Order: sequence, then C-alpha cells, then structure tokens
Amino acid sequence: MKAGRADGKPVGSLLEELGRRQLLVVTGKGGVGKSVVAATLGRLLAQRGRRVLLLEVDPRESLHQLLGVDPSGGEVVEAGGGLSLQNLPPRRVLDDVVREHLRLAPLVRRVLNSPVYHHFVDGAPGLKELAVLGHVQRLVQGWGGRRRGHTDLVVLDAPATGHSVSLLAAPRVTAGVIPHGPFGHMATELAELVADPVRCGVVAVTLAEEMPVQETLELLDLLRGRLSRDPQLVVVNGLYPRLAPRRQGASRRNGVELAVRRRRVNDAELARLREHWRGPLAELPMLPLDRGRELVSALAPLLEEALADRVEGRP
Amino acid sequence: MRRSLLVVVGSGGVGKTTLAAAIGLASARRGHDTLVMTFDPSLRLKDSLGVGDEARAQEVEVAAGTRGRLCASLLDARQTFDRLVQRYAPDPAARDRILANRFYDHLSGSLAGVLEYMAVERLFEVAREGRYDRVVLDTPPTRQALDFLEAPQRIVDFLDSGARRIALKPWFDEHGRLRGASRLGLIGRNIEAFLDRIVGLELLRDMAEFFQAFGPLYEGFRTRAAEVQSLLRAPGTGFILVAGPGEEHVPDTMFFARKLGEAGLRLGPVVVNRVHPKELGSVDGEDEAARLLRWLAERDRRGLAALRSLLAGRHRLVEVPLLPEEPADFASLGDLAGLLDVLLDGS
Ligand SMILES: Nc1ncnc2c1ncn2[C@@H]1O[C@H](COP(=O)(O)OP(=O)(O)OP(=O)(O)O)[C@@H](O)[C@H]1O
Ligand SMILES: [Mg+2]
Repeated sequence: MKAGRADGKPVGSLLEELGRRQLLVVTGKGGVGKSVVAATLGRLLAQRGRRVLLLEVDPRESLHQLLGVDPSGGEVVEAGGGLSLQNLPPRRVLDDVVREHLRLAPLVRRVLNSPVYHHFVDGAPGLKELAVLGHVQRLVQGWGGRRRGHTDLVVLDAPATGHSVSLLAAPRVTAGVIPHGPFGHMATELAELVADPVRCGVVAVTLAEEMPVQETLELLDLLRGRLSRDPQLVVVNGLYPRLAPRRQGASRRNGVELAVRRRRVNDAELARLREHWRGPLAELPMLPLDRGRELVSALAPLLEEALADRVEGRP
Repeated sequence: MRRSLLVVVGSGGVGKTTLAAAIGLASARRGHDTLVMTFDPSLRLKDSLGVGDEARAQEVEVAAGTRGRLCASLLDARQTFDRLVQRYAPDPAARDRILANRFYDHLSGSLAGVLEYMAVERLFEVAREGRYDRVVLDTPPTRQALDFLEAPQRIVDFLDSGARRIALKPWFDEHGRLRGASRLGLIGRNIEAFLDRIVGLELLRDMAEFFQAFGPLYEGFRTRAAEVQSLLRAPGTGFILVAGPGEEHVPDTMFFARKLGEAGLRLGPVVVNRVHPKELGSVDGEDEAARLLRWLAERDRRGLAALRSLLAGRHRLVEVPLLPEEPADFASLGDLAGLLDVLLDGS
C-alpha cells in the first residue's frame, strides 16, 4: 500500500484519498467516538480546501459541541474554515418527498397529518435511513442548496441504532420491498451510491475492546457479504497509554497496574483486529480532555499523521 | 420484599449485559432459582457461561455451582416472532402465508421496536410459567431511553392504525388488479393516492396480504401488550439503572431516571459502572500517561458527585470499578456479583 507508483495513477496521502469522495460514512458501535472522529476528519478535510458538511442524524444534538457552534436545529450552521454542520431529522426529508409529489397544499397537509402516514414512515423498513442518504445525494449533486453554497463532501456521523451496517444496507432492503415509484427509484440509485467505493467511503470507528472489535469484525463481514465492499479506514480510538518502563526497584501503585492491564487488553484486541483487517488503520489515544473543540483540535494532528501514508489513488 | 423481576436499563455500551449476568449470579448464590435474559452478550461471556446459540430457542442451565439454579436465555426477535406466529396462527396455511410474506420478512427484522417488543413477549411467557424465583432482564441498546417498554403499545397502535384498516381493504379484485373505488372518504382517498404514487402497488399488495394473514393473531397481541404493561408495574418488579462513569453521562442517566418515573415504573438503585479508581488520582509523574490517569480518576469522581447530588438520596448509588479486564469468566463475574449483591436487598 505504501509508496508512490509510477504508472500514472494519482498518488496522495490516505487523507487526501478519503477527501476525493462525495460521502464518508463514519460508523461504529454506540459511544466509541464516531462523532469525535467525524468532526476531526471533517476539520482536516476542510483544511485541505474541501467544502465539507458534517451531517448528524440524532434527535439529541451533540456534534455542535465538538465544533463550538450553536445547535443546528435542522439548519446548516457554518463552523468556519470551509466546514459546516447540519442536524437532520429524517422525517423532514420524507415530508419533502411527499410535498414534491403531491404538490397541492391541502392534499399535502392531509397526508402529513394522517396517522396512516406516520405509521407508514415509522414502520416501513429502511425508509428513514433512505431519507438520510437521499438528502446526502441531493447535497453533493447541488440540488439541496437553496441558500447555501455547494458541498464537495458530506461526512455522515451515522446513528448508532441497530447494527451499524443497517444504514448502508437500507437502500437495498427498501429497493427490495418497494420496487417502483419515486421511493423505489431513489432506493435503487442510493444502493448504487453506497456500493461504489469511488463515491462513497466508509470509516469504521472502534475501541480496542472485545465487544466493539467484535462488532467491527461483523461489520467487515457484512460489508463484504451484503455490499461487496470494504471500508476505506478503520479508526481505533481511545487507546490507553503505554506506560514508561518501570525503574529498577520501583514498585507500581495499584492504579497504574490497572492502566497497564487495560493497555494489554487494547493490544490484544488490536492484534485480533489486524488479523482480520489488513487495510488502513489509524490509532488514536485517549486524551485527558472533555468532549469539545479542544478534543478535536488535539486529535486532528494525530489523525493527520496516522493518515499521512501515501496510497495509490483510485483510477 | 423479594423482587421477582429485575429489569436492567441504561444507554448502549455501559455494560448492562455483564452486570445483568453478575446480578443473576448473585441471586442464584442466595439460593434463588434465577433466569437471566440477555441481548447480545460478548463471545467470551457466552463461552464462560456455557451458553451457545441453542439459548435462542430455550433457556439453558449454567453450571455455576450455586445454591439456586442459574439459567440464561438469549433474546432473538426473529425467532420469538416466528414462534408466536407458529403458535397462534389458526391453521398451517395461514402460518405459512405469514412466514413467507415479504413484508413480514422485513417487518420482523426492522420494524422499530420489534426486538424490544419481543423481549417483553418472551418475558411474559416466562413470567406466566413461573419456573423461577427471579428473572433478571437485560435490555437492548436503544437510543430513546425507554423504547423497549413502550414498544408493545407502539405495535398495538400500529396494528390499530389506519394502516391496518387500509391494508385490509379489498384493494385487489380476484384477478389481482387494483380496485378503483374507495370507501374511506376523502382522507382515505388521499392516502391511497399517496401510497400508490409514492410506494407503488407491490408494497401495498404485500402489506395487504400480511395484515390479512395476521388478522387472527391480532387480538392476542393486544391483550398481551396490556398484560405486559401491568407486569412491568407490578409490585414485584424493580428497575436497575446502569450509568457510565464521568460527568458527560450524567444528563443521560437523569433522563432515564425521569422517564422511568413518568412512566410509573419503579426505579431502584443506580449503578455507575467502569469507574476509574481514586488511587489513579495520586499517580506521580508529569508524563502524558500519568496526566491522563489522574484526569480519568478526577473525571469519574466529578461524575459520581454530580449524580449523587442530583439523585439526592432517593436512590441507592452503587459504584462498580473499571476492572483490569472485561469480566467474562466465573471468577471475575463472581467478584462483580459480590459488589452487586446489595441490589437484591429489597428497596
Ligand atoms: N480520543 C479520545 N480521547 C478522550 N475522549 C474521547 C476520545 N474519543 C472520544 N472521547 C469521548 O468519548 C465519548 C464518546 O464519544 P462520541 O460522542 O464521539 O461517541 P459516539 O460514537 O459518537 O457516541 P454515540 O454513539 O452516542 O453517538 C465522548 O465523551 C468523547 O469526549
Ligand atoms: Mg455520536
């Protein structure tokens, strides 16, 4: 993977390579640091001149804290340096589809207020996930931007509901259940987007602990099995520090022993992950900082360095 | 009073499953026949409990050497759903029609709340059979605090809703073609137009078939959903809230506590899990590692203090330290069980 090649293919750092895509889906188990990694990646890519929109899908907004801006409340918020943020309620996207297709205001109102519609939207498999991806597609194709400028790249902080692959698999599922009509067409198109590693990148975030690594290995299998693709990057976050070797005769206190053993767990899980994943992997330490801008600023150079390896670009 | 049902709740990734297993072990050690119902335990935890995939179909006895029996079962939405259909379908033909329906296939896998609903269903079966002194119920990782408790009502609402009525309409004539006329009035016609234009007819056909086949099961669902709601509020039921360490978890924890109260559910102790021990606060050294360890210890103290003052003595606060390794064998589960035994002293 390392080092440039002279056969005419573009060569750049892994970070630049990630930035060439239209969509990066940052995924992983709850609480492993998806939002922190998404914000950090977004910052880094914006610094390289890409216009990046960070998209959060979570009714309890929190990504704004990591950028030091106001909550989005559904609108696009500028976070400076080419980076913006939006919290997206999936329902709103679906409602827009209804508006576009029924046009007449009273008709639209009736449908949107009807319990049947609510239950349909809640119950139909994959529809919400589809709405999120559909919104992304509009953004990168420049349709959704009424007042805002063009977006080069969307970094999607994927919601941690269900298994992390469900968002990516949703278009296929929906296309299977709803083969026709506008939702059906949308599903088919999005299934292609998600399966296409040139346009869509997947970043899997994990901790080096048993359950998150297990889920990551399952994610790798599911990506291969259901979407015939790999992630572009696995980020191992929150590593305990390696402690300096003990001076002769000095004894360690209890607490330190705990940290040493947690790091040992980290190393064992990293090894297990590496056995199954030979592709790009970035390690990030646990830092003594609360959730916020500073944490992102401190992680940015570390992630940048981890992604500095030169890789062969995609044709 | 001895609790006959303990429900372990909390946000994803805080260690509910492990703690539920340890509470079960503590209960069996006290001589009570105990069943632990869990979601998604880690491989190592499954191994050491000797619980394999067969526990999806039935309860498996754990060789824990305790005075009371310790059993475990794994909750699996699809399997429970299939079993229900098998049990309640009026005849084999109806059963096969449901199981083969494409809509069912997706519904049982991904309808919001199905997993949660099935957990409660299974729980109800177990409670009715009454083979255990105590049941410890682990809960699935949900975002919205009490999803799984509200799931039965949501499903009943879904089945009650116009979606079912509309789907049950004779949409198709005997040649499988869509009937033109509608008897649902203006709103109904608009919805039809919407469904037809937006999702196309195939989905409608699947849905209609599904609801028609499902019809006979519907009353049973409804009744049990109501019974489960009262089981969760029965005097023998208590909730244990598991929280992550550190200040940032405090709002989540308080949110859960409030929601439980609003729902009329009895919250007992709050367990703060994976707390970095105080001793780390006095690690010397100015290198990065030492600074991090001190910070973690302080962060978790701050979290505990904040929680203690917010709970204001209304709930017992039990602190579980971060262990050097994930507790997955009997020895370390036993240590945890020792710490958690207090949860079994009435509340
Ligand atoms: N490298 C790190 N060093 C220190 N703390 C970190 C690090 N990465 C994440 N955290 C902390 O871990 C917590 C979880 O991170 P984050 O919110 O990004 O997770 P998430 O995967 O987005 O969670 P959710 O599934 O709830 O959305 C946060 O409090 C964050 O500050
Ligand atoms: Mg997040």
